[in-house]
Amino acid sequence: MKLSFWQIITIPLLVGLVLSWILFSEPGAEIEATISAAQALSGGDTEGYIQALGPREFVFPVDHGAHPGFKTEWWYYTGNLFTKDGRQFGYQFTIFRNQLSPTEAVNVLIDPKIVRTHNLEWNTNQLYLAHFAISDVLKKDHVFDERYSRGTAGLAGASVDPYRIWLEDWEIIQVKDSMASGERFPVRIKAEMVNGTALDIQLSPQKPLVLQGEEGYDKKGGLDGNASYYISFTRMQTDGVLQKDGELFAVSGLSWMDHEWSTSALDSGQTGWDWFSIQLSNGYELMYYQIRNVNPDLAPQITGSLIAPDGQKRDLDQGEVRLEVLEYWTSPHTRARYPAQWTLAIPSEELEMDVATVFDDQEMTVSVQYYEGALQVSGNFRNEVIGGNGYIEMTGYEQE
Amino acid sequence: MIRQYQDLLWQSSLRFLLKHPWHFLLSILGVALGVAMVISIDLSNSSAQRAFSLSAEALTGKTTHQIQGSGDFLSDQVYRDLRLTTGYRNSAPVIDGYGTLQGLDRTFQILGVDPIAEGPFRDFSSQDGGIDLARFITGQPTAVISESVLADLAKNIGDSIQVSVSGRLFDLLVVGAIETDDKRSQQALESVLLIDINIAQQLFGMASQLSRIDLIIPNENEESIIASLSAGLPVGTRLVSTSSRTDILSQMTRAFELNLQALSLLALLVGMFLIYNTMTFSVVQRLPLIGRLRALGVTKLEILSMILKEAVLIGLIGTILGITAGIGLAQFLLELVTQSINDLYFVLSVQELTIEMALILKAIILGLGATLLAAFWPAREASEAEVSTVLRRSSSESKLVHRLPITATIGLAIGLAGGGILLLPHGGIIAGYSTLLFVIIGFSLLIPSLMVGLAAFMRPIFGTLNGLIGKMSVRGVVTELSRTSVAVAALVVAVAASVGVGIMVDSFRVTVVSWLESQLQADIYVQPPSAVARKADAQLQTELVQLLKETEGVESVHSVFSEDVMTTFGSSNLVTTSLGVKASESYQTKELQDGFWGQFAQEKVIMISEAYAYRFGIGIGDSLGIMTDKGMQYFPIKAIYFDYASDMGTVTMNRSLYDRFFGNRAISGLALYADDQTEVNVLVDRLRDRAAGVQDVFIRSNKGLREASIEIFDRTFTVTVVLRLLAVMVAFVGILSSLMALQLERAREHAVLRANGMTPGQLWNYVITQTGVMGVIAGVLAIPLGLLISYVLVYVINLRSFGWTLEFMVSPSLLIQAVALAVVAALLAGIYPSWRMAKANPADALRSE
Repeated sequence: MKLSFWQIITIPLLVGLVLSWILFSEPGAEIEATISAAQALSGGDTEGYIQALGPREFVFPVDHGAHPGFKTEWWYYTGNLFTKDGRQFGYQFTIFRNQLSPTEAVNVLIDPKIVRTHNLEWNTNQLYLAHFAISDVLKKDHVFDERYSRGTAGLAGASVDPYRIWLEDWEIIQVKDSMASGERFPVRIKAEMVNGTALDIQLSPQKPLVLQGEEGYDKKGGLDGNASYYISFTRMQTDGVLQKDGELFAVSGLSWMDHEWSTSALDSGQTGWDWFSIQLSNGYELMYYQIRNVNPDLAPQITGSLIAPDGQKRDLDQGEVRLEVLEYWTSPHTRARYPAQWTLAIPSEELEMDVATVFDDQEMTVSVQYYEGALQVSGNFRNEVIGGNGYIEMTGYEQE
Repeated sequence: MIRQYQDLLWQSSLRFLLKHPWHFLLSILGVALGVAMVISIDLSNSSAQRAFSLSAEALTGKTTHQIQGSGDFLSDQVYRDLRLTTGYRNSAPVIDGYGTLQGLDRTFQILGVDPIAEGPFRDFSSQDGGIDLARFITGQPTAVISESVLADLAKNIGDSIQVSVSGRLFDLLVVGAIETDDKRSQQALESVLLIDINIAQQLFGMASQLSRIDLIIPNENEESIIASLSAGLPVGTRLVSTSSRTDILSQMTRAFELNLQALSLLALLVGMFLIYNTMTFSVVQRLPLIGRLRALGVTKLEILSMILKEAVLIGLIGTILGITAGIGLAQFLLELVTQSINDLYFVLSVQELTIEMALILKAIILGLGATLLAAFWPAREASEAEVSTVLRRSSSESKLVHRLPITATIGLAIGLAGGGILLLPHGGIIAGYSTLLFVIIGFSLLIPSLMVGLAAFMRPIFGTLNGLIGKMSVRGVVTELSRTSVAVAALVVAVAASVGVGIMVDSFRVTVVSWLESQLQADIYVQPPSAVARKADAQLQTELVQLLKETEGVESVHSVFSEDVMTTFGSSNLVTTSLGVKASESYQTKELQDGFWGQFAQEKVIMISEAYAYRFGIGIGDSLGIMTDKGMQYFPIKAIYFDYASDMGTVTMNRSLYDRFFGNRAISGLALYADDQTEVNVLVDRLRDRAAGVQDVFIRSNKGLREASIEIFDRTFTVTVVLRLLAVMVAFVGILSSLMALQLERAREHAVLRANGMTPGQLWNYVITQTGVMGVIAGVLAIPLGLLISYVLVYVINLRSFGWTLEFMVSPSLLIQAVALAVVAALLAGIYPSWRMAKANPADALRSE
């Protein structure tokens, strides 16, 4: 009797102890959520988007603006600028547009009765992205910054008249000029990085717009639709100011503009590209890119054009350009191994030059990893010694 | 040697306890019940708190500051300017609101964000957190919810869910699930529906508007950044720190929680009486043994520690059982507490109980502490037992009778001191509860004297009714006063507590009902469903307002609008009414300046509710600063009105005045008057027909709304009523156990009575009458103490917690109930001992010692 009474008491006692022990052994952890693999700029599904299937008629200034319906688009400005003392700075300023879903997102009212009087300014499926980088050649210092925004509500976008491509307070905006034509007008680029590095420059096209590839239709892969529309201003006189490390520099030099839009570009076997834009001292410009294949035996897909001082374009054919890598640089940031020095020869044009990055580390380690670097060029063109500057973009060198 | 001898004492203790298992068990029950009440209230409160802070933490993320508009809205231009002109990029636009998911009957916090800007702020809503932009920002109505909610709904990613916002139903496509592997975050995000900001603007009808802008301002140069950002903000917007915002929310429920806690402590107090009672018993019963032990050389200290050790054992077992039971009880209370918070303050979803070590420790300390405290006096009494003589109870009884005047005087002094506490300035709620405690203790000390008086009064009555046995029974209560008085005191306190709380709830209800009657003057009321029952936080569609106004049979209409605005005293609820001078018919004022109603319709004046005036210590003659679209404006307060809808208090202004300072045109409620030819019910049906398909709103007649309001009122008091019932249960079990123990204790006396010729029937009569007498005494004494407690609750605690003036309302049925409760418990307590005694052979009982 006594024992059983004690047993009755002991059991809840033990149960209570065990229960309370279990209840307190809950671990704490950070709140985080994973939903699915995020791919901000996924190439993935192209169904439902407009594809670049053949040459088209361009209308300006409309075609300087955005082309919704195509998945990707970019306005890409690079240049080499010099101070009076000859100190060199390279710059890259690019605004990307990325359409997130194929269907048009214009005013899909979820309850038309209620909101019909209002303008849905925040409604969009356009994502804007911007990259801004400065290469300080003297200090071998490459600084860069990246931004995102939804392409709506006045936060980011591309308007035609006046021309303005912007992401928040980073913008490329048309400058009033009485000499401006529908396709050709000066613009101003204004941007400041978080660290204070800033650029405020004015660019005036010195030559007419170049329609790259086949009248602006540029095939990049073997498949139909793996192509883009591609237009360039290959020589733009540039003047303005640049601020870096607390110093303000008056700079001038030459810039290059590429505007390109597409839905899909690369075939599945293609890994990346080496894309040159070079301004030569004799008034010529060279655009040349090769898209490499996974299979090294396959010849790369190339597009190239040589622009004469009068603006005439000569397309370069497959096999006309000889490119040889002389040096490589391995990135300490990503372990990626990029070419750093080349010889580039176009025998048919009696052009042969050494091309080198102005310094090694001009890698962009932002949401997309690539190399965007200022170039120095020297060589011979039709027996004439030439120099020049340019930019190289390299993708697909990521370490697996 | 010494050790063994001490073990011997301990074994004697154990042996004693084991020989009296009923007694032992009842002591444990006393502790367990008290502890269970305290821990269950603590746990449910803290779980609600924790759920709130966890969800606040998850939703706030790394946000340090926020930009808010003058009311609930902020123009999106502020965000554009911030990004494009000021260039402050640690900023994210947010729209938040509430909605109900179809299929799950609970409210969700709907968070509308721009996931592209979210990165630095919240982990679960940004690209980095895995929001697939391509599927989330499509212009289509998409949503992301917690995986567990998806499972509850039996839906998958790719399915549609329906959400109801302000009475409108929307289909949303689920494009992702918030998966969390730990319980904490799961709990925090379980009531969150994440949508794109564009969809949020549509759901809440907030085109070009935001709820707020979240900011991250680094600690270093915080001040200069705030200064420069504030300088760029348009008039009517302000930058506040996030913590101040969540503080406001958690402060809201402080008084509410404190009151619940106090009720649970009351239960512990009753438990203490029970422990005291049973410990005294066990000591008194053993006095002969203790006397012998002392004679054998056991020291006073050893006796003291022996008794206290017993108390520790009882306390420990009781506490552990109490904690276990309390956790179970908390599961149930949590639902009630959450419901009340949702009705009264803000939307909160608490899915599970969180058990904090600190609270368990507190319960252990309280349980053990209370047991030791209650056992101390009996233990001291035991240790002071005379060495030479075997002390008889009669001598301690006579001692107590001698002490009666002193005890009564001390009791009176403590009671008066309790009253004195109320006079302390800035005493607050804590002082109110201290008064309550003092009054209860003081009254308890008066109980022995009152019992003697009452017994003297009752003896002739019972003598007439029940002859000798009646007289004997009453006399028996007084002769063993040291034991009966404690049992009666425990019963009185427990019953009085339930009477007090009962009167308080009744008074409250009567006040609210009569207030509703005067407040609701119109025939028909139209409201959209809102997330928090007592707050009109949803809006009527403009189209609907027009439609209803033009309905045939509607003679006149007035509208109200409620929103939270920033004032000198932080975020406050501002109600605007389109009633001009006629507002005087609906609003009962406590104080007002002459000619106020004329001014209210025309001039820049406002009135504030009683609770608001009390909370912030302002009144007529003061001015209240309100952040408007035209900047900070000061409004003279010209009247104070009664309002029992919100304990946070409200500020009321005329609509025309509001429109002068705010751009918002929204309406959150409509009151309609039927013309003479139209029957109200007919008009209600007509209006419902017209509203169908536009917005799902409540259209109720005056009577319907009143009933609905009272229903909500009753719901918010469910937790109090449940606690009261629990206190009654504690009282019931307590009285049952102590009176039963008392009678079992008297087995020997009963045997003597039987041996002297008393029949089993007469003994039965004797025992039942005696416990019945104690029940009646307790019931009668519980009434004045109950009234005292209710008086303190209504006029001190309520006023100090909420600033409300209540009508004091005592319903006789409540008092009769109290006496009946005491008597029934007492009678029940007599059944088992008398049954056992009647059955037993008196010779055995006499032989036992």
